[in-house]
Amino acid sequence: MNLNTSILKYIEDVKSGTFTVEEFTAATLQRIKDVDTDVHAYLSLNDSAINDAKKIDQKISSGEKIGQCYGFPISIKDNICITGTKTTCASKILENFIAPYTSTVVNHLQNEDAIITGKTNLDEFAMGLTTEFSAYGPTKNPWNVDYVPGGSSGGSAASVAANECLASLGSDTGGSVRNPASFCSVVGLKPTYGLISRYGLISYANSIEQIGPMTKTVKDSAFLLNIIAGQDVHDDTTIDNGNANYLENIENGIEGKKIGIIKEMTTSDGLSSEVSTATKDAINDFESLGASCEEVALPTIPYTIAAYYTITSTEAGSNLARYDNIRYGYEMESEGYEYNSYISKSRTKFGPEVTRRIILGGFVPSAGHAGKYFLKALKVKSKLISEINSAFEKFDYLIAPTSPVQPFRFGEKIDDPVTLMLLDYNTVTANLTGKPAISVPYRVVNGLPIGMQIMANSLEEKSLFQAAHALETKTKLPEVPL
Amino acid sequence: MVDEEEIIRVAELMKIDLEDHGEHVSRVKKMLEYFDILDQIDLTSEEITSQQKSLNELRKDEFIPHDKKLIESLKNFREHYVRAPKMN
Amino acid sequence: MTKIGLEIHCQLTKLESKLFCSCKANYREFEPNHNICPVCMGLPGSLPRLNQKAVESATSIAMALNCQTPEKIAFFRKNYFYPDLPKNFQITQLNVYGDMSVGGEGYVDVEGKKIKIRRIQLEEDPGRLIYEGASDRTKITLVDYNRAGTPLVEIVTDPDFDNPRQVRIFLNILSDLLENLGVAEPGLEGAMRADGNVSIEGGNKVEIKNIGSFHDLEKALHFELTRQQSLSERDIEIAMETRHWDDRRKITISSRSKEEDQDYRYFLENDIPWVKIEQNTRDTLKENMPESISSKKERYIHKFDIAPQVADIIASDRYYSQLFENAYSEHNAKDIANLITTDVIGFIDTKEKQETSKITPKHLSDLIDAINAKTITRNSAKVALQEIVKSGKDTDRILKEMDLGQVSDSSEIDGIISQIFEDEKQAVIDAKERPETVNFLVGKVMQKTKGKADPVKTLELIKSKLNQ
Repeated sequence: MNLNTSILKYIEDVKSGTFTVEEFTAATLQRIKDVDTDVHAYLSLNDSAINDAKKIDQKISSGEKIGQCYGFPISIKDNICITGTKTTCASKILENFIAPYTSTVVNHLQNEDAIITGKTNLDEFAMGLTTEFSAYGPTKNPWNVDYVPGGSSGGSAASVAANECLASLGSDTGGSVRNPASFCSVVGLKPTYGLISRYGLISYANSIEQIGPMTKTVKDSAFLLNIIAGQDVHDDTTIDNGNANYLENIENGIEGKKIGIIKEMTTSDGLSSEVSTATKDAINDFESLGASCEEVALPTIPYTIAAYYTITSTEAGSNLARYDNIRYGYEMESEGYEYNSYISKSRTKFGPEVTRRIILGGFVPSAGHAGKYFLKALKVKSKLISEINSAFEKFDYLIAPTSPVQPFRFGEKIDDPVTLMLLDYNTVTANLTGKPAISVPYRVVNGLPIGMQIMANSLEEKSLFQAAHALETKTKLPEVPL
Repeated sequence: MVDEEEIIRVAELMKIDLEDHGEHVSRVKKMLEYFDILDQIDLTSEEITSQQKSLNELRKDEFIPHDKKLIESLKNFREHYVRAPKMN
Repeated sequence: MTKIGLEIHCQLTKLESKLFCSCKANYREFEPNHNICPVCMGLPGSLPRLNQKAVESATSIAMALNCQTPEKIAFFRKNYFYPDLPKNFQITQLNVYGDMSVGGEGYVDVEGKKIKIRRIQLEEDPGRLIYEGASDRTKITLVDYNRAGTPLVEIVTDPDFDNPRQVRIFLNILSDLLENLGVAEPGLEGAMRADGNVSIEGGNKVEIKNIGSFHDLEKALHFELTRQQSLSERDIEIAMETRHWDDRRKITISSRSKEEDQDYRYFLENDIPWVKIEQNTRDTLKENMPESISSKKERYIHKFDIAPQVADIIASDRYYSQLFENAYSEHNAKDIANLITTDVIGFIDTKEKQETSKITPKHLSDLIDAINAKTITRNSAKVALQEIVKSGKDTDRILKEMDLGQVSDSSEIDGIISQIFEDEKQAVIDAKERPETVNFLVGKVMQKTKGKADPVKTLELIKSKLNQ
């Protein structure tokens, strides 16, 4: 059974009887058994996956109505709630938290007969870029297990790249879907803010984060977006997408379109030479597809990392305040303790990066410092939004490499906080502005993947997919060695 | 220059026990020093904005009972109440 | 100059659901922790959903208090740790990026003095804490989250009160107003709470928190004024601080705790978009607001010639004004009003009794008709009322069953008077000598007829008999 297939091809094969849902599911589960000890993409598995598969096969053979997904296997980042399952956010403080409700996105998937294979690893509470901050051990990059898979949705990206499922749902706050997508050579989308419901996504920085699909192909991404996007009664920040069909006209191409090459993201010192070369080649490819490319400057970009970390640590400090181990968490008897010391003791279960962000998040919005940090960060956000809106008046798309560097070895970047922060340099803009952005696998150099990022204006996902698909047709990628 | 004393005080406010985490203070300090870059950009004309909705798009006022068993699935619940540590 | 300001919290218990979720707004009928859901419990991944009617109610309150209401409102997070706060932050309102709470810059007239309302904001109530056992040996705090998320309107006044008495009158006016609007039930236990701040001439402002009831508020204010007075007399500085009311010892105590260092790190609640309340929406809300108490009072006085004190009593109470509005007709409005304030109020003097009473507007109009037709006496009507309130039976039925019909037949009354004259020979002599004591005899007749005798006729007949 070829597990290195796409969702759309899988559905065709099931419909034509090439294999049953149960057969494919069993093969997937076997694959997980074979490789996940090395990859460690998964934190927990769905015990009823085979039963779910059998039920779907039964529905198919009896002619009953089947959901659009036809039982394709999908993994879910472990910061997204599913009733009755452990949802740990890769943290010790939620070691025993069993979600009593299901997120809207998973509801959609289940209603359309997708099969959840399990929950995937992440940087603790989605704070990180390499999945090295997971309290349960890092995930390895399937392209080279000595290298990081990116983060924070490292488990999600690796599970797709290693053929342990056909797709995954990750979350993207500053690049957490796109960055690991680029590092693992899969397609990763961060949609327009408000397109996908966050009900059931455990908040880190709620003003800018979104759930995002991670898939093998661009068409698969559009297919998945059709299933999970749309206004939700449970989330007041969701917006009306007019019931768009994202697969429609996806092959239209980009003839005559105008592409802006973001100067600050493509010419900074942080860019490695391989990434730089790949970027130049991608620009040539875009031009050969009929688009015109021109450099565009967004002068606020050098300030975005500081603004991003200021805003997200403030929100994280607040969003994670609820973890005081009183209503849920892990086992620790409260009798005998005084309130403040109980809370402080239980919160020592937070990992080092989360701890630091919480401290930052107490500092930068505090009365004495908000003017210098937090309020300025909010204004940088506003300024960036004006700048990018102006750019979109001239351009249909804005492009840059997703990450300034290729995947690196474990332990390499984790010690210097500023170097670590700067890895997000090319991705935080899309989060701060709410614009959709997609990372398309472009090249593998020295065995390590490089992805290209395309941004479009708000709610222009259909157009975005057209550009991504067009670029995809120009890429020829090797198979993952694992 | 960020005062280390203050970082420690903030940690306490955030209920973060810093006893074993001395390293955290220096890393937090480094990050804060990086944020000084925000002083270099002109932000005088910028305004704070947000998503907006109109009144009639809001949730309608209806009582919808939730699963009575919710409290039993959360920890520290015994004989009707959630048990928290004593207050000072 | 004494300055007192108030911070009042009022639950919007007339709403069906909580401020950010669909659990019940009035939590009182539930077993502990059985009126909760992922949202009000702040479970990981849950999101708040703003209640439209709560915004409308709060805006109406702002208008009723003569406030400005903004075009858009926003919500903020107030971050602090406490076991009754499921998220360890409270979603509330602030006027940081311009005026974005539901209302501000209003006033209430208290005996001719304008008490300024600084702002009105919508926010969520926390849960409730119960301390097991005596405070020093308490090992555990018990928490009930049923109340968490209940919609609250916070009303903040300027320090415009001169004395605690004004505060009391203001709170009565405010309670009546809120009840009249149909958004709150101030009489419900815990539904309305107030904190205060006090300063005297030359002294710093002191905040007083943890005041359980309006009764306690007045006590606390008096205590605090006395305390500050005595400090000032001894030339001791009055510290600017927060004190809390100790209900057991009936004193205020300094809260010199970390509360003072508390930094709430206020920032926008981004899970709730800013809400646009357009001018025409606000106009519609204003039009649909129930008639104000003062307007009703004016109408009763001028249209129906009802005495001002009577009008005041009826207009200020939603229950009575509704009873009145549905009972009166062109010719009997004044009578209905008087009947309510003289007799009905005696039988239905609490909110609980208002809930359980079976009286209807028809009962009142039937009674007044019977009185005016002289079918029954005023006294009998009072007896009938008591039964009506209890059983709600038809007025006619009650009058028959209890045999309350007025005795107005002269010969019948005459017969009874003769009997009384026989029984009370001394009283008859007294009445002949001092005519003002004749009422004793009238009373005896009324007693004998169980209040059914026509009192006017009775007096007439007795007087003429005395003169014989």
